[in-house]
Amino acid sequence: MHLDPFELHRPATVDEAVEMARRHAGAFDFLAGGTDLLPNYKMHLNLRPHVIALEGIRELEEHGVERIGAMTRLAEVEGDAALAAAYPGLLEAVREVATPLVRASATVGGNLLLETRCFFFNQSEFWRHSLGYCLKADGDRCHVVPQKEKCYATFSGDLAPVFLTLDARVELAGPEGRREIPLAEMYDAHGDGIHRTKLRPGEILCGVRLPPGARSWRTTYRKLRLRPSFDFPELGVAAAARFDGDRVAEARVAIGGLETYPTSYPSETAALAGERLTEAAARAVGERIRAKVRPVRNTAIAPDYRKKMAAVFVRRALLALSGGAAA
Amino acid sequence: MSSAEPVRTPTRLLGSRIPYIEGPLKVSGRATYTDDLRRPGMLVGRLLRSPHAHARLRSIDVSAARAMPGVHAVLTGDRYPTPFGVLPITHDETALAVGKARYIGDIVAAVAADDELTAERALAAIRVEYDLLPEYTDTHGGLVPVAEPIHARVKDGSNVQKEVLQHFGDVEAAFAGAAERVHVHGRYAGVNHGFTEPLVTLADATPDGRLTVWSATQVPHYLHRTLHEVLGLPMHRIRVVKPEVGGGFGGKSDPLPHEVICAALSLETGRPVKILCDREETFYTNHGRHPTENDVRIAFDAEGRIRAYDIDALIEGGAWSSFGTVTTYYNGVLSMGPYKVPNFRYRGRRVYTNKPPNGAMRAHGGTNIRHSVETAIDIAAERFGIDPFDLRDRNALPPNSTTVNDFRITSTSFRRCLSEARRASGWDGKFRRLPYGRGIGLGCGFYISGSNSPIHFTPKMPQCTVHLKVDMDGGIAVHCMQADIGQGSNTLMAAIVAEVVGVDLDRVHVIPVDTDVSPVDIGSYSSRVTFMMGNATRKAAESLRDQLLKATSRVTGHPVERLRVATERYEVAHRPEVGLSYLEALHAAMETQGALVATGAYSSPPMGGTFKGARAGTAPAYSFAAYVAEVEVDPETGVYRPERMWAAFDCGRPLNRLAVEGQIQGSIHMGLGQFMGEAMDYRGARLMNPALLDYKIPMPQQMPEIEILLVGDDDPEGPFGAKEAGEGPLIATLPAMGNAIYDAVGVRCVELPLTPDKLLRGIERREAEGRAWKGH
Repeated sequence: MHLDPFELHRPATVDEAVEMARRHAGAFDFLAGGTDLLPNYKMHLNLRPHVIALEGIRELEEHGVERIGAMTRLAEVEGDAALAAAYPGLLEAVREVATPLVRASATVGGNLLLETRCFFFNQSEFWRHSLGYCLKADGDRCHVVPQKEKCYATFSGDLAPVFLTLDARVELAGPEGRREIPLAEMYDAHGDGIHRTKLRPGEILCGVRLPPGARSWRTTYRKLRLRPSFDFPELGVAAAARFDGDRVAEARVAIGGLETYPTSYPSETAALAGERLTEAAARAVGERIRAKVRPVRNTAIAPDYRKKMAAVFVRRALLALSGGAAA
Repeated sequence: MSSAEPVRTPTRLLGSRIPYIEGPLKVSGRATYTDDLRRPGMLVGRLLRSPHAHARLRSIDVSAARAMPGVHAVLTGDRYPTPFGVLPITHDETALAVGKARYIGDIVAAVAADDELTAERALAAIRVEYDLLPEYTDTHGGLVPVAEPIHARVKDGSNVQKEVLQHFGDVEAAFAGAAERVHVHGRYAGVNHGFTEPLVTLADATPDGRLTVWSATQVPHYLHRTLHEVLGLPMHRIRVVKPEVGGGFGGKSDPLPHEVICAALSLETGRPVKILCDREETFYTNHGRHPTENDVRIAFDAEGRIRAYDIDALIEGGAWSSFGTVTTYYNGVLSMGPYKVPNFRYRGRRVYTNKPPNGAMRAHGGTNIRHSVETAIDIAAERFGIDPFDLRDRNALPPNSTTVNDFRITSTSFRRCLSEARRASGWDGKFRRLPYGRGIGLGCGFYISGSNSPIHFTPKMPQCTVHLKVDMDGGIAVHCMQADIGQGSNTLMAAIVAEVVGVDLDRVHVIPVDTDVSPVDIGSYSSRVTFMMGNATRKAAESLRDQLLKATSRVTGHPVERLRVATERYEVAHRPEVGLSYLEALHAAMETQGALVATGAYSSPPMGGTFKGARAGTAPAYSFAAYVAEVEVDPETGVYRPERMWAAFDCGRPLNRLAVEGQIQGSIHMGLGQFMGEAMDYRGARLMNPALLDYKIPMPQQMPEIEILLVGDDDPEGPFGAKEAGEGPLIATLPAMGNAIYDAVGVRCVELPLTPDKLLRGIERREAEGRAWKGH
């Protein structure tokens, strides 16, 4: 497998990158760590003639407890003791991404904007040609849920659920200037599944901003997959809670690896507020979430099992927050 | 019963831990693999593959591709249509599809071009018109006559490639009189070898009329013969070289289409051509372990002694025969040992399907059937209320015995495998006594130590031959065609020579396999190299040593029988101060003839019955194994991990302990892969996971702690008492795991791979049926 030629651009600032994006509108991809984009390019998935590399833009690489630049390598998050201490769930999630070699290149922004994955999409040109391509690349129909409107590929980033439970915001820069929105609003839950975010054309994800209160939350992350490294999540559960004495002040759960976008479950966790985080309470949240999730058969593990595990993982993650042993 | 300690004869070097002689080259990146080779003017070869599982080739238009600048040759199936195959009796493969394509990935055209990009563009310019044919993707559907059989040579218009029926003794009577009957229905997904180095070949047809081919192969000789047969060149004008090979596990033992195509492209262009298959193409080439469905029925008498086996195996062949006829026999004949089975009936059927071909993979033909048998024996032990170790010990084949199908069993330390595994694992304190979710299980196995039935053009020739050459520098060159594919056979041959001749290991150089200079051997498969090539090398080394002793005798005046071999020295046994150094003896010997040469060969002794198929599974020796696995299962998720394994193995005398341990660890890893998650995952004819991200080879973190117990007595015919340790160590892994999981959560594991969702379903089913297990 080889990489088809493309023109590589290396802007030195965010403004330059935005300008290049404007110039090559519709015909470029941003390149962060390359661990997602380049393998996809080798498979000829939605190739673009221009690639704008974000490496070397200082503003994107700075990271601290309040703000993590989008180009921060996952290995740097692991190595940042202050970050790890502030958000243990983030560290857990980062450590579960791929392998140490991949994490040396892969970035925080790249993980948040990871291309969705599907058995029928992440395949070589030959393989997809043999099947007649799919809605997400070069074709007009979905092989998972046969129809021609919506893509059901799975969001497979590990970091987004954790950031969602921390109410993180994202900084964006584009031709129309800079803006900051909640991360939850970056994902387009009602789109066609192909254009999965509400980023405007040419917009760059510059960084993740964590609210001042985030450090007072306990966080954890649980990941289901067949092997303890390399594999993308078949289910990724982040849970976070703030406590008031032995009672929950507020609890949040967010899940990735099941559907096309990472999802928070505020109404399913609301009942925990003001209560003790008991086994029964955690189980009830798990069951409510299980009833809501809709995984499809497009990854290595069957969807009914992933759905069943959503309940178990949610319960265990919540109980881990209570400080008690996970049941 | 055997004694506690194995019987061993003393040696100087063999039996110790000998690091691989090529190790420093490999870990420093300096070892040369086929893809490291470059030739001036080298072209890139690329293959066009069928997107359809079964389709007639109505037309192939290559004119546009041929006309492209930078394209030097375009090949289609009609140019070299001679069929070939690893078994002389089933030549049903062609280099490129002739007439029709038989699986998604079947090769329909090939190009040689200046570079990769040009080659890919040329492939895209080839126009193929296909007429789609019915696709046959399951074995059951292929048992009856079909509209369009995948091959012309099939049974009665069906897709059955091979049927084997065997019956020894009286199985009906044995079952009628049995005290206990156990039935297991096992289902096994196909698995791929997952070797590190993908398939790759470089060919150079030169103006002197010769063709040189470098290839990642386990059997240079079969490739040599196939190139001769398909390309029509005489063998002496073809030279096959095997550089370092990054693993094979059976997947590089067939002569493969891309190898023939690469050579053909070089002949067409007069330029060197290289074909490097990517991982997806390597998966399509496959030749991995056959997907299998089997029914194992075992009858026992009231004392728990096996009275009979009644076995049926339905084996999915994929598009070609490959080793399939052997596979079909092996699924029967390799089901019996290590047990005494007085009555035996077997039906094996191998069915073509429109999927990539299946073939030989580590512990070929002995793995899936073994898992079903060992599960059945575990079930029987539970019904009898007999400990699984005791039941197996009661049924063990004794040394120097003959099986019902005329296998000759010489050495076996199977009973010591059992007793050592039982002791080391603390079995008696754990079996059925660990808490719910934890379990311990026993699995056993045996395997051939070199097929007695060589795939050879004349069985009268030795199975292998070794030449040694020594010149005045004292370096000993070993010429042989055994293929070191990472398993350490070069190191072992060097160590055998060093041991016998009495020199330091670094004096011995194993010359890379090169058919111009290496005497014929049939390569690295069927766990034959240590036993067969080891014996041949030992004989050659003894002949060389005798020449050196004779020279020492001439110089010292002491008769040869009074001399002994010391380290780098030959001396008089009762007056050790009198003698010659190795170099002095060598130079004295060279005075009369110049460089010394010596030859050794090996042929296995006559064995086996006279009935049809009697030779399948016969071997000059067999390895034996008893493995215990201890697992932890999360009953709520079905997620489990093997925590510890105790591997008691009888490989006779381990000649290189380091290599044997590595083989056992690697085998356990591979066996765990098939048990836990590896599967060629097809939807219809389509392989869903032709990539190492989606094909779930276990990670190092998933490996259990392994305790290795090498307990075999010296084998009477093996070199220095050795038997195989390359394939047998895989087999027992699977049933040890399956039986441990049963002990943990009360679920029988008869559908592999056992992914967590399947195990959870099993636990839920048990609970729904109201069967409690360990209080749950």
